[in-house]
Amino acid sequence: VNVKAAHDPISTEIVRNSLQAICDEMFLAMRKTAMSPIIYEVLDYGVAITDAHGNLTSSGAGLPGFIGMLDKSVRFIVEKFARTGKVRPEDIFMTNDPYNGGVTHLNDVCLILPVFAEGELVAWTANMAHWNDIGGIAPGSASTDAVEIFQEAVQFPGIKLFDEGKPNEAVLEIIRGNSRLPDQMIGDMWAGIAAIRIGKQRMEGLIEKFGAGLVRAAMAGYLDYGESVARRALKTLPKGVFSATDVLDDGRVLKVAIEITDSNFLVDLDECPDQDSGPYNLSIDGSLTAVELLFKCITSPSTVCNGGTFRPVRLKCRQRSIFNAQRPAAQGMYYEAFIRLFDVLWKALAPAIPTMTSAGHFGSICATIIGGLHPETGRHYNFIEPELGGWGAGQGIDGSSAQFSAFHGDTYICPVEINEARNGLLVDQICLNPLPGGEGTYRGGRGVQIDYRPLARKAWVTVAFTRSRTPPWGLNGGRDGSVNYIEVLRKNGAVERYGSASGMELGLGDVVRITTGNGGGYGDPRLRPIEAVMRDVENELLTRDRADEVYDLSRRM
Amino acid sequence: MRVATDVGGTFTDLVFFDETGPDAGVIHTVKTDTTPPDFDLGVMDAVLKARLAPDCIGFFAHGTTAIINALTERNGAVVGLITTKGFRDIVEIARGNRPDFFNLRYLKPPPFVPRYLRREVPGRLNFKGEELTPIDLSPIPGIVASFREHGVEAVAICLLHSYANTTHEEAVLEAVCREWPEVSVIASHQIIRSWREYERCNTAILSAYVQPTTDRYLSRLESRLSGAGFNGRIFIMQSNGGVENIEAARKTPITLVESGPASGVLGAAALGRLIGEKNIIALDIGGTTAKCSLIENGNVHVNTSYAIERDRFHPGYPLLVSVVDIVEIGNGGGSIVWADEDHRLHVGPQSAGAVPGPVAYRRGGNKPTTTDANLFLGRINPDFLHGGEIKADMAGVQAAFYRLGGELGISCSEAARGVVRIANNNMINALKLVSLNRGYDPRDFTLLAFGGGGGMHAAMLAVELAVPRVIVPVNSGVFSAWGMLMSDLRRDYVQTYLTILTRDSIRKINQMVESMERMAIEALVSEGISRGGIQLQRMSNIRYYGQEHSVTVALPAGTLDESCLEEIVSRFKSIYEREYSYRLDNEVEFVGVHLTAFGAVGKSMPQPMPLTDASPRLALKGKRSVDFDVFGIHQADIYDRDKLQPGMRFNGAAVIEDAGSTILVLPDQLAKIDAYRNIHIATGNADSGSGGPR
Repeated sequence: VNVKAAHDPISTEIVRNSLQAICDEMFLAMRKTAMSPIIYEVLDYGVAITDAHGNLTSSGAGLPGFIGMLDKSVRFIVEKFARTGKVRPEDIFMTNDPYNGGVTHLNDVCLILPVFAEGELVAWTANMAHWNDIGGIAPGSASTDAVEIFQEAVQFPGIKLFDEGKPNEAVLEIIRGNSRLPDQMIGDMWAGIAAIRIGKQRMEGLIEKFGAGLVRAAMAGYLDYGESVARRALKTLPKGVFSATDVLDDGRVLKVAIEITDSNFLVDLDECPDQDSGPYNLSIDGSLTAVELLFKCITSPSTVCNGGTFRPVRLKCRQRSIFNAQRPAAQGMYYEAFIRLFDVLWKALAPAIPTMTSAGHFGSICATIIGGLHPETGRHYNFIEPELGGWGAGQGIDGSSAQFSAFHGDTYICPVEINEARNGLLVDQICLNPLPGGEGTYRGGRGVQIDYRPLARKAWVTVAFTRSRTPPWGLNGGRDGSVNYIEVLRKNGAVERYGSASGMELGLGDVVRITTGNGGGYGDPRLRPIEAVMRDVENELLTRDRADEVYDLSRRM
Repeated sequence: MRVATDVGGTFTDLVFFDETGPDAGVIHTVKTDTTPPDFDLGVMDAVLKARLAPDCIGFFAHGTTAIINALTERNGAVVGLITTKGFRDIVEIARGNRPDFFNLRYLKPPPFVPRYLRREVPGRLNFKGEELTPIDLSPIPGIVASFREHGVEAVAICLLHSYANTTHEEAVLEAVCREWPEVSVIASHQIIRSWREYERCNTAILSAYVQPTTDRYLSRLESRLSGAGFNGRIFIMQSNGGVENIEAARKTPITLVESGPASGVLGAAALGRLIGEKNIIALDIGGTTAKCSLIENGNVHVNTSYAIERDRFHPGYPLLVSVVDIVEIGNGGGSIVWADEDHRLHVGPQSAGAVPGPVAYRRGGNKPTTTDANLFLGRINPDFLHGGEIKADMAGVQAAFYRLGGELGISCSEAARGVVRIANNNMINALKLVSLNRGYDPRDFTLLAFGGGGGMHAAMLAVELAVPRVIVPVNSGVFSAWGMLMSDLRRDYVQTYLTILTRDSIRKINQMVESMERMAIEALVSEGISRGGIQLQRMSNIRYYGQEHSVTVALPAGTLDESCLEEIVSRFKSIYEREYSYRLDNEVEFVGVHLTAFGAVGKSMPQPMPLTDASPRLALKGKRSVDFDVFGIHQADIYDRDKLQPGMRFNGAAVIEDAGSTILVLPDQLAKIDAYRNIHIATGNADSGSGGPR
């Protein structure tokens, strides 16, 4: 059927729908082929299609943060290679360097493939995924002790991994040689390549059917459409300057200001602290992504999201600050800087936009890395997982319990039965966090408690939690939530508490208890309906004493 | 006499045929209203309306939407859960995923059992099924007493690692039954022996949730039928594409959750067997949705990653039951057409339903639907809606598309064509999900289209997908019920067993498979199925070591020994490569077995009719101008489907009409009628020449 002639709004619409369908397919291909739980379960990866210039037309991601990252990577490759005509069909480009288009930390490796039609570059398909170990001073390429990016992992500052379809064996050897888990890394690389190749094939099919001209025009029009949806939503937001502060666990203060005008969303981070001496830093690309994510959440959460969506966004941030770190600052724990930035921006807007927001959530990725020997196989295991925590209450709604942070999205917690088989440890319990916090007319959701018991020697734990001192913020009279931390319950009965630990040894019989925070409350607790308070008591999520103290229950009954 | 009844949301369909006598194999159909909550009444109405003598019925198959409705309408039982100490919050914690991920006010779906009805017992197994702590039954009497006090009507039991060792769950089950003999109770291992505690626990809970009502409804059906003189056997349609006897269905009603859609796919496979089509893409287009499923080499694809209420924004509730692999989208004849603020055209997923219905139906609908677009384009006969019962409001339809075209800045004909093109594109994406996306080449398949809208869209979809043939079956409106008539008893046994594939492990796998097969055969034989009527299908899940997702690989027949190892690994690698484009040298890991047992329940097939050389002119009703979009506007021949005889053939452009549906034959396509009065359309696409799925 020749529909190439049909340059009509209907064909254009079909191309747009197909762009999303292709991303969905790319996303699924990687999930099903990946070798690491951080990809197939945590979904710490994203896929995207951009136009020839690197403008994001569609994307698929497990992490909302990843939605707006890949265009920045593609644009770097466009600058470095395409401008000078160095891109050939079947080339695959690679970057993980946050200072060179890599956006986040070195674990996040981007693979980028051009799509040509009749000799002309029409589009790119791209993939970014968390590679579990690509060298550096610590297993998992993540150490809270790193002070320079050189210590964290191997850097690929925008290179050709495949040359016209042929792999650069030298690079593959370097990856193998530097990784503690070489088979996994090569497997994950192929999974990423499967995803971008399927994307490219489908794009070629689309071009064959509709013609490159229509596909180009449809992509450009789609970006404009994304912009018009965003601008329309922007008009409905309250105008003015909104600011907030928050305190990091080490006492440093985050201070942000957002100015909303009829045409722009301007974020000023100039007053934030200097760049961190450790790995809690964000590149300017990473900070821009956090700002874009919040903009998306409060403007058009359930509709189109592409490069056009973010055109009204402006970011101001001085160099050498925590949100615009300069080489060679380490970035291994970039995600904690990301979530704290996102959270404080959210805090700035929540009082003014209560219908699109809620009180503060547990506000940390709570990345936990546990390693050791599998008691059955004797193989070394090492798993990294973000933890579930409580979300804040909002106007008219109690907060949800046991969800991943706002940094994550369609991420899945590993089942206990699979975790025990894979890693040979025992999970003694996993339950909702029973501690107080987050009370309000609407109450915050519950965090969790998980007890891990390693069953062989040489086990260790690394954690990098934030909000282990400053609790999630309540809103409009609601109580603050509770904090995130781990405890090591030593065999001898001693209990140690940490917010951050690097490679801490665990003896046989020791248990690591992870506790994540309850979300902030919304509104005065004394206005919470009695039956709702009683239901929490019956469900053993609230003691009678606490109900009297905070909800004034006895007096109201 | 074989009878099948399909209880749908609006209608209860009954299909039957005689196995002997002059009328043998001729299908008869009856439709009555569905009668919630006493669905058995509607079924008996249909039996009465068909003038069936219950004592002549030997085989009675029954499919029902009652279970899925009880779940989605939340009118099931009050359930209490008993689980392993330390894990009562598993069903509330769920998997923590938040698909609606830009939403800062996300609401997690609440569990079906509140926290105060979730109780724990000490006792612990490890992942190999070894006991770490003995089960402690002492809390059971207290738990049961408290459940009674709180009005619990059904009990679900799910303990950690019960897929590997069922003894702890069995002990708790026994203790609960001892303590409270009349309560409805289910343990997770009775449904599935597959790991993932949240999914398994949720499956047990949802089964308990529908158990008391399903049990009451099925026993009433049974007693009404036997009261009327019926003394044959009742079989219930399951989600896995087979039937189950009524006793077993009452024990684990959750296996009936997708009873209706599954039977349509099963019907497609059965029809394929009858007419020699092994590779089929089944497409069911109704008023609200389109469903599609792939049948490869005669086998219906079944998976165990089903969920209710899951979509792009909601995680839903997973159910670890075997469900025919169906992709469903919100596009049907009644799907509403709308333009958004940016003048982009959308079709569905909202449906105009029966009321207010499409604009043309004069029931108050003022938003155009796909059906209206097909009327506008001349594809549907405005004088023959519901066999002429309804006179289409064509002025209203024209006005609606004039308005729509104005909003979009295009002509009203372009708008109507656009609606069908977008609806088709939505369906194409769904069809690709079951074919191309899984590595199957549509050119190797036949598109079998049924439901009210199947024939309307199939020819156009087939061209787009390069499918060489379309078949629209006779009785396409009651095809799901027809499918049940053709079904075997089917049971699925899933067992997780994790091991690297080696010479040693293959022996252990063999032991496990053989013992599962023995158990399956013994159960069927004890229920009166002859050994010769039992067929077993052994599939396995295999992956590269380190992966989470596995691919399904058929295991060789006979004893599995070292010599099979290479064969299994090579099958795995080629299936994997077909789907994902590469091979690895990594170790290969076995994840589990999915054994399916089929028991023949004495079916007989419809008989072919002699082909005539009668001219199709006998069925010609006239000509009409029809807009075939990119294929142009043609004076199409209009045929009366009821007058088409086996052996007739004719070329498009043509439209085939009966009271309930319209079938399009595009210009230059060839239509012919087979010996069962199914309509075959050669779409003009060549098949791939590879002679089967790649």
